[in-house]
This record gives sequence, C-alpha cells and structure tokens, in this order.
Amino acid sequence: MSIPAVARDEASEEFFDGTAAGVYLIRRCEPHGHASKPQALQCSVCASEDLRWEPSSGEARLVSWAVLPPPASSVVAVAELKEGPWMWAALLCDDPAVLQEGMALRVAFERPPGSEAIPVLVPAGA
Amino acid sequence: MAAPKSRRPVIAGLGMTEMGAIYGRNAASFAREAIRLAVADAGLQLGDVDGLLTSNGTSGGVGLGLQRELGLRDLRLLSEMQGYGSTAGSMVQFASMAVQSGMAEVVVCVFADAPLRPGRSAGDVYGARRRNANPVAPDRPAEPPKPTLHGWSGLTISAGAIGANTLYALAARRHMNRFGTTSEDFGAIAVAQRAWAAMNPAAAKRDPITLEDHKSSRVIADPFRLLDCCLVSNGGVAVVVTTEARAADLCQPPVHVNGWAQCHPGRLFEHDEEFGLVTGAALSGPQALSMACVKLDDVDVAQIYDCYTYTVLVSLEDYGFCAKGEGGAFVSTGGQIGPGGRLKLNTGGGQLSSFYMWGFTPLTEAIIQVRGQGGERQVERHDVALVSGNGGILDHHATLVLGTGPA
Repeated sequence: MSIPAVARDEASEEFFDGTAAGVYLIRRCEPHGHASKPQALQCSVCASEDLRWEPSSGEARLVSWAVLPPPASSVVAVAELKEGPWMWAALLCDDPAVLQEGMALRVAFERPPGSEAIPVLVPAGA
Repeated sequence: MAAPKSRRPVIAGLGMTEMGAIYGRNAASFAREAIRLAVADAGLQLGDVDGLLTSNGTSGGVGLGLQRELGLRDLRLLSEMQGYGSTAGSMVQFASMAVQSGMAEVVVCVFADAPLRPGRSAGDVYGARRRNANPVAPDRPAEPPKPTLHGWSGLTISAGAIGANTLYALAARRHMNRFGTTSEDFGAIAVAQRAWAAMNPAAAKRDPITLEDHKSSRVIADPFRLLDCCLVSNGGVAVVVTTEARAADLCQPPVHVNGWAQCHPGRLFEHDEEFGLVTGAALSGPQALSMACVKLDDVDVAQIYDCYTYTVLVSLEDYGFCAKGEGGAFVSTGGQIGPGGRLKLNTGGGQLSSFYMWGFTPLTEAIIQVRGQGGERQVERHDVALVSGNGGILDHHATLVLGTGPA
C-alpha cells in the first residue's frame, strides 16, 4: 500500500513540524492540562482556547478498523491515544485477522515522496 | 402555546418521480416534477403553495431558484435545509411548525438528486477520494509529485479512502466487537428488506436474496459487503404539509404529524466516545414518541434509515425495539422482521432495495403505509408510523411520528 502525499497548511504547521521529528503532537489546555486532538480549536473538556502543543506518547489502543479490498488492500483504523484523543490512520499490518479491539499499537511515520511525514499505526510489538 | 386543533399539521400530498438509473435530467428537473406531482396528489394548485423547503443531494441545483422556476409568488416561507440524511425529517418538522403557527398554509418539502451518470459507479458518488489521489509513475521517480491533499482533511484522507463506506464500516465493526454482532445479523436485514421490496413496484431491486447471497457479495469495506450498502438513485420526492383544516377538503387521507424531535450528538472522538454504539435515535426517539402521546408498543410500522444494514440494527436498539447490544439477535430471530414478521420494518424495501432519496425514502414509505396505499405490502394496522432519518456519519438524527389521526 502507498500513503498519498499531504502538504501542510497554516493550521497544521506545528503538527507537521512534529511528525517531521517523529512525534505525534496533541493539544493541552493551559488552565487544566486536559488533552485534545491536534485539530482541536478549543479544549474538548473545558472549552478553553488557551492550548499548547505537547508530544503524545505515541502509544495507542485499537478502537475499530475497516479492511479495504484490492486495489487498496489496506486497513483504516481508529485508535485511542494513551492521552485520550482518538486518531484516524492507516494501520500497517500483514494480517488483519489478528486485529482485536483494545490491542496495543504505536504511532509510526511514513514519508511519501514530496510529502509531510504522515502518522500511521503499527502493532506495538512490531 | 398549543396550536388550535384545526391548525394541527398533516402531510396531504406526496409526489415521487421515476427513480433509479434515469439519465438525461438534472436534479432540479426531478425536483420540479416531484413538486407538481405532490401538489396534484393533494388536490391543490401550484398557486396554493406559500412555503417551500428544499434539500440538495450530492449533485446540487435544488435550491431557492425553484421558486422562480415554478412561478411561486409571495412565498411566506422559503429555505434550503441541510442535515444530510436527517434533512427530510427536519423539513417536515419545520413545515409543521410553520403551518401550526399560521406562518404559512401549504408548505412543500422537496429533495432531488441526480448523481448517477452512465459509466459512473455508485461507489464513486459517495466515495471517497481515492488514496492514490497522487499516483507516482514508477518509471519517473526523480520528480516528487506535488501533494493534492492539504492540512487536517488531507491527513484524514491519507488514512485511506475516508468516505461513507469506510467510516460506517468503522462504526459497525465497533458494534460487532462490543456486542458480538455478526455480518449474518446484517445480512438478515438485507434479506428481510429485499422480501418487502419484492412487493414494491417502485423498488429497483426486487429479486429475492438469501443470507448466502449476502455472504458471497463482494467486500466494499470489511465488515461491509455490497448487500450491506444502500443504492444510489436519481430522482425526486416532494411532500405537502398543511393544516388539518385545509386537508379536510383535499384528496388524500391526511397523515398527521404528531411527534418530532432531533438529536445531533456532536461527538468529540476521544476517550469513552460512543461512536458506533449509540445514535441520536436514543434521545430523539423517546422525545418524539412522547410528543405524539404514544409508546413504542403502539408503533404499527417503523421506517428506519438504512444507508447500511448496520444503521438499521443500531437504530432499532436506540429506539428501544430491543435492548442495547441485542440488535443482532433481534433481527436474526425468525419471524421478527420481513413480511409477516412481528415488527413491520422498512416495508418498501428501504434504501437498500427500493431507492435512495436520503431521508425521503423512509418518509415516503411511512406516508404510503399510514394512508393505507401500500397495495400488496400494506400492513394491516397502520395508525402509528415511526420514521427515522440519520445523517452524516451518525452525526444527525431526526425522528417523526406520523398517524392516521391526531395525537
């Protein structure tokens, strides 16, 4: 499978700086330290707009997945980061039959030609 | 403030164009025909219309311009509405409030779409931008391609063909994992609805299917197979909403709009999110039933939005036809759904087997059944109909309770 190229825009600049350094950044609110998705415009818990960027652990648990038949032959997954936010990403695994809800995953990065580094999910042991 | 009895809202007209792979017409053309049919069905003239609510599908062109195209003057209500699959329900709700309040007298709600073109697959219409949106020619590796995907949306798309099929497949898989729901359970819904469709002259797919057919249909986005997915249709539907008093002199048996509610969960997609497990039917269902002064047991016929088989299953749970998590066992129990079953569910074949006019598919069949005009598929008791509309990726929900008489 191949990951398509993605370009940054103003809103995603810091995030892609993070992926270039091999880090999946999330947002933390200054008032309480609640975690939110990188796309969040305000804290998902307290609605504060005072958000800082913070590296996530890159550790995640599988929430759900869909297996696309050929020619895509890929797995699209939703995973929950250890910090709480969910992420959508391609899940790289040889045999979708082994996938289970809750299984441990980690964030890795693919670098398609001409693209920002794109987060993907891989089994934690891989 | 309760509306005077005479101003209670009713659906008095229904217009349906030919539907399916009908080419050479745009959506506005279907919309105009549907409106003319609905007005005539009610026994009204176009000049009687003083309110118009419009809903676009994917192909566009069904909007405010319809007023002038149809020569409708001095409208007292005119708006485009959008809640995806919940729009039909929301339109009837808005129209009902408008006639109840006296703001307008005869409100037409219309949806039309013409996404199908010769040689274009149904999957391409709602699908997804392909993951190989930016293919690299293998013999020219030197020049990296310019990305066509940008920012957050690009990031989501890069996860792999993020379209309705994939996102609903993620929702369905979560339900399967959590509750043990199986693909065969989904198949039971497809089979039952096809059996109803066999009795619906307006249905596109009328040949019976079996669980084996479902199991052997091609994978679209696992866990979904072809027979889990709705059709894509060209066509248009319109309904006329007016007052009980006005409808008394008109042609059709009035269909009373007795209860309505919406729910838009606004999911944040983080820890403990109920995505895939619970829909907006859980809140909008009880509220609409309560407004109509009926209980779930009183529902004679249920028209449940069925963009996918799974959507029916999870909605049945949320409305309370069975307990949460037991939808699979419920639909797979012999004699439960399908013609002759205890629950009269999606009696026209639904979006899976008849035609796909977003929320107007379940709404249309509910109107036909409440009127008693279902022909071969007419259910015996049809005093109370539940209609569900589901939009986005389980993001928007509208519920209607219709009846032969007032609440």
